[in-house]
Amino acid sequence: MRSTAPTRDPLAGKLPVSLITGFLGSGKTTLLKRLLRDPDMRRAAVIINEFGEVGIDHELVASSSEQMTLLANGCLCCSVRTDLQETLRELFIKRRAGEVIDFDRVFVETTGLADPVPVLHTLQTDGMLGAQYRLDCVVTLVDAVNGLRNLDDAPEAAKQAAVADRIVITKSDIAAPGTVESLEARLERMNPYAARTVAVNGEVEIAFLRDVGPGSARATPRELGRWLAPSGEAGRGEGAYLGERLRSTGHDASIRSFCLWFEQPFSWESFSAAVQVLTSLRGPDLLRVKGLVNVQGEPGPVLVQGAQHVFHPPVTLDAWSEDDRRSRMVFITRNVSREAIEALFAAVGALSAPHA
Amino acid sequence: MPSMLPGIGARADQTLALNMKLVSHHELQGFGGIGEGMGMQLARDGRRILWLAHESAPKNFTAVDVTDPKQPKVVVQTELPHAKVRSNSLDVVGDTMAVAYQTSAVNTKPAGFDLFDISKPEAPKLISHFDASGAHSRGVHAVWFVDGEYVHMASGAPDFQPTNPADDQFYRIVDVRNPSKPAEVGRWWMPGTRVGDSVPPPARHPKFDSGFRAHNTNVFPQRPDRAYVGYISGGAVILDIADKSHPKAVAHWRYSPPYTGFTHTVLPLFSRELLIVSDECVYNDGTDWPKLVWVVDSRVESNPVPISTFPLPPVGTFAREGGRYGAHNLHENLPVPGSWKSEEIIVGTFFGGGVRAFDLSNPYQPQEIAYFVPPAPKLSRAGAIQLNDVYVDDRRLVYTVDRFAGGLYVLEMTV
Repeated sequence: MRSTAPTRDPLAGKLPVSLITGFLGSGKTTLLKRLLRDPDMRRAAVIINEFGEVGIDHELVASSSEQMTLLANGCLCCSVRTDLQETLRELFIKRRAGEVIDFDRVFVETTGLADPVPVLHTLQTDGMLGAQYRLDCVVTLVDAVNGLRNLDDAPEAAKQAAVADRIVITKSDIAAPGTVESLEARLERMNPYAARTVAVNGEVEIAFLRDVGPGSARATPRELGRWLAPSGEAGRGEGAYLGERLRSTGHDASIRSFCLWFEQPFSWESFSAAVQVLTSLRGPDLLRVKGLVNVQGEPGPVLVQGAQHVFHPPVTLDAWSEDDRRSRMVFITRNVSREAIEALFAAVGALSAPHA
Repeated sequence: MPSMLPGIGARADQTLALNMKLVSHHELQGFGGIGEGMGMQLARDGRRILWLAHESAPKNFTAVDVTDPKQPKVVVQTELPHAKVRSNSLDVVGDTMAVAYQTSAVNTKPAGFDLFDISKPEAPKLISHFDASGAHSRGVHAVWFVDGEYVHMASGAPDFQPTNPADDQFYRIVDVRNPSKPAEVGRWWMPGTRVGDSVPPPARHPKFDSGFRAHNTNVFPQRPDRAYVGYISGGAVILDIADKSHPKAVAHWRYSPPYTGFTHTVLPLFSRELLIVSDECVYNDGTDWPKLVWVVDSRVESNPVPISTFPLPPVGTFAREGGRYGAHNLHENLPVPGSWKSEEIIVGTFFGGGVRAFDLSNPYQPQEIAYFVPPAPKLSRAGAIQLNDVYVDDRRLVYTVDRFAGGLYVLEMTV
């Protein structure tokens, strides 16, 4: 249905960005090689670290510069310049001037050792990038051979898995028997809110890596579910008992993930005050927060997401599309308990409630 | 102005698009040069008819059935009596249409406007002609007709002798409540532009003198006592027309020089206390760059304060393709059924820069949120697209027209 609203849809016009992250050796290059040849990648722009690694010489159609190349399948491939921020700006400016194709989505490869959270911040703190791009999803590759060890030994690897919206398990074909199952169980404990798939030789459906975040203020419940809780927990109405089914054992007990549900609508003042307290006291430990919040006076749920101390501007969706209007928020934290956050929101809510 | 490196030119044969999708394209039977008159009729039989004034002879106006925007159909296309007249501008209220006539020389007819009964779109019926021809007049350049009662227009008159021949078209109000007998009820011209005025003629622009004359003369039901007038070399003018027989200037904002003149449209956003003021680019190849769309703070009506301009791609991106590149027409929130009305998203045409939409939710930092630049139309003498005018209907479909050959483009805005 076409909108006739006299205002801008805060999500619809922005170019979706998918981050592809994964620890050293997790198979990012193999996945990128596959992506760069996929017919479904027409009109996608892919920002990679180095051309040399992905070997695209035979696919090359035209170069507009040393850094930007159009491939045979219509995919625009560019290597990152001094930093991602500059590369994304330059891409948009060239698009507007007709110097590169009218790309309609972007995939960004992060380096293996990178903490993906600062990249998320880039998209929301740079005014021009925030106006033209939106985060669609974080895709994290975890390799079945070394994944478990990396999650133990490398905080970056654990963080990459924790912030993911999508997890791709790679190298299952060369892993010892049973490893994939153990890895899956481990990832399920860390981040049950990310959908997972197992890839062989980089074979992943493109559809799994894109159109994850809501692309319109008129997103359907199904689209919202795809973003918030693809594996189901936050989509079901059973939040109360599920919360801490954690996570007690194992190595990364410090990373917790849970979904909180709130029956009463928030005033925006109380909600934002609670988030401010949380970010100022424990910002570095809020790896990822995303949710749909019932805010008094708003026509639909308010979409909220953030990482550490930086939150995207809230977006009010056009309308509630289901009867269940409880607020639901997914938290992925480091050493912050569900109870502490629940208590904080309860206290702020109680203080802001009108006098009886 | 600080110097800026020009961008590298876009290729004229490519389509550039962001958040606008082509729904259909109609070349209007080989006469695809359209001026700046676009109006939508919601016909009694349920059809949506888009009326278009041609840029120049031989055609007068064309009506296109856009009920199904995927399959626009020409309903009627009419002829001008000769090649020294152009229609350029029209407006539609209900089943009545006003069409402007401007001649290329003074003392030529028809110069004025026609009123048509378009209740049967296939067969427009002339109701009356208002004659504005004269020894110093080229007739009517632009009409504003939205209430069915008055035509506001940029027009010459037989009794008006300008101090400079370029200043012949001023603001006139014509009562058409009896459509068979249109009669002038009031007028305003910039002091000094008429022979006999008590003040001296205004100083000419040293490089870009396009005349001290009216262009768009907009009046809205929210402020029936105000006319918002682009006065070309004279800047933006707000007139108090509470007494239509004696319009009085209440605000006058002049910014050229140092800018390059040609104030075209003054569009008030009443709920925002803003004015959107567009220039018109009238030279090829970026000669009169920058031609801008200005955001003006109008909280104190008598003291308009410019606060930002719409961010456009660099001049080199489109100016070197051929033809003009810079601001021109805006969708003017026409206060008639069928027209889209927005005080946050403003859509305008920029000749070679195509049609572009801007989000004004923060008026200090307008954001470009959508654009469509069609490839150069076949047979266009400019060698590049030259989008001239735009109309957005209440289905949020964007209709835009090429000045020379491309005809009508119907677009969907997906932002």
